[in-house]
Amino acid sequence: MKGPGKKIQEKDRLAAEERLEQVVRLEEPDRVPVSMMIYYYGPFHTGTRMSAYMGRPDVYRKVTRKVYEDLGPWDIYYNINPVSRLLYSFVLMMKYLFPGDELPDDVMAQVEEIEYMKAEDYDRILETGYYFSDLAFRLRMLPRFCKEAQSIKPARLWVLLARDIVRQKLFWDRDLRWCREQGLAMQIGFQAEMPFDVFSMARTVIPFSLDLFQRPDKIRRAALRLAPSFAESCIWMARLMGVPRVQCYCHRTSNSFISPRQFEELAFPSLEAVVCRIVEAGMTPILHCDGDWMKNFKALRRLPAKKIILQLDGLTDIFRAKEEIGDHMCLFGDVPADKLVMGSPQEVEEYCHRLIEEVGRGGGFILAAGCEIPYNARPENLRALVQSAYKYGYYGPQASS
Amino acid sequence: MSRGAGQGDRLSRFQELFLGFQIDSISGEVAALLDAGAAPKEILSASQRCMEEIGKAFEEGSYYLPELIVAGEMFKRVTERIGPLLSSSAREVRGRIVLGTPKGDIHHLGKDIFRMLAEANDFVVYDLGVDVRPEAFVQKVAETGAEILGMSALITAGFDPMKEVMRLLEEKGLRRRVKVLIGGGVTTKEMVRKLGVDAQTLDAYEGVKIIQSLLMKAEAIA
Repeated sequence: MKGPGKKIQEKDRLAAEERLEQVVRLEEPDRVPVSMMIYYYGPFHTGTRMSAYMGRPDVYRKVTRKVYEDLGPWDIYYNINPVSRLLYSFVLMMKYLFPGDELPDDVMAQVEEIEYMKAEDYDRILETGYYFSDLAFRLRMLPRFCKEAQSIKPARLWVLLARDIVRQKLFWDRDLRWCREQGLAMQIGFQAEMPFDVFSMARTVIPFSLDLFQRPDKIRRAALRLAPSFAESCIWMARLMGVPRVQCYCHRTSNSFISPRQFEELAFPSLEAVVCRIVEAGMTPILHCDGDWMKNFKALRRLPAKKIILQLDGLTDIFRAKEEIGDHMCLFGDVPADKLVMGSPQEVEEYCHRLIEEVGRGGGFILAAGCEIPYNARPENLRALVQSAYKYGYYGPQASS
Repeated sequence: MSRGAGQGDRLSRFQELFLGFQIDSISGEVAALLDAGAAPKEILSASQRCMEEIGKAFEEGSYYLPELIVAGEMFKRVTERIGPLLSSSAREVRGRIVLGTPKGDIHHLGKDIFRMLAEANDFVVYDLGVDVRPEAFVQKVAETGAEILGMSALITAGFDPMKEVMRLLEEKGLRRRVKVLIGGGVTTKEMVRKLGVDAQTLDAYEGVKIIQSLLMKAEAIA
């Protein structure tokens, strides 16, 4: 990204991009940065049809600007929107049902978990080489769950994806310019579901749990086979988009889904390969860690220090995480969804204050919701979240001024 | 009825396979046990003992979700094989549960795991599926006389429908006779008070323990 950009608060000493870089290095910046992971909330805030918001980039742009105007400013912009369903399916590898198509016009998109990968597909992965293995796997799987990819020859599918990648790049270029004008840092250069987690999603939890007992070694080796190609795609895409951060989804790797031993033996090797390669390329991996990760921290400490952001969703105790891994990775989170939907602004502020005081101590912390902002969050609660960063989040001499 | 040494050995082997998560061998072992003259009730009891042991290890934190799921699948395979051979009185029904994912949410994973474990623990489950309207939950409770209502949600879209279910239960005079449990990644303990439900959990196994204890308390009061 070019230049640090303007400061968003009068008291700020740093621009948002510098602040973000400092917390990743576990340094103490001028203030705790705040990220608002807003996607489905936007249309409800502005009274816009969800189908138009998700399907039309111009509507999306208008809505996000309006939300920022009403609730902002904050530091980190969550650039999640896909320009096409095909690209969304390609990166997340889940069957999404969309508003205005499979779902009513005014509801958020949802995942329908279907078993689109068979046990023999592990063998198929292991039969292919390392180069482009992840890309080949994704292209082979897409027609099984994504209707836009059905009845299309692989070469044509690749052309359509390349077209959508270019469209995404053009769309994000405009967003990036707007972010710079606002003084915002952009969160994501690329995002994708990690190979091990794709297997769990694609097999679905019950068959995948059986796989963990019936063919554990194949899972480990297949995930490792995809890892280098997956990492290269992430790096290439993030470079193209011009943001040096990759959000890696680990939806199914927590202790809520697998044991610490299974994590260590089956999931961690491919996760480590991906993370180390992204770091080596000079980028920041953002590990999106749904579920309870407490017992995986010992293994995570083997990843490079002061290079990674760990996003927690409220199911891992973030206060204990600060003690156990806060000296190794930047923590991101974790105001619980129920507080934002059913709580009061005072409750949200109290929780944010505690987060800032305890998890933000000494730096290495980004204040945010636990996962995305719920679509039905109360706007006054979101304001309380953002404002608490300015009320309690300053370090050093600015804290008392 | 006395049991031969060979049959006793086979039953021990069956338990070893079960506790060793040898899912591919379990159906064959049940068939061999039946051929050797083992009573279906005896096989069921052995499976239940194994399930309890695995559940205890889960509670203690030495087993995780995959072990519970594989155990549930093995139990299912055993009951599919011996179910038709059991007399209707051989299986005790501990309670009836109306279960579903509330309107606006189509996630089914947590619900399905809870259902599997509840059935393995002798509960009858009326699974209404996903995206269930509040009226449908309440109607099913009224129709079946279920003692438990379980709602599972992964996204906050389920919150308002849960509130509406609670309102309708009161309105129809059903609230006092049904215990309400909510679960799923987005729910918290604080919601017990805010929604007026009886309990919340993030863990399907704990959910089964909770409903057992809620029913015991209700019976003690009655």
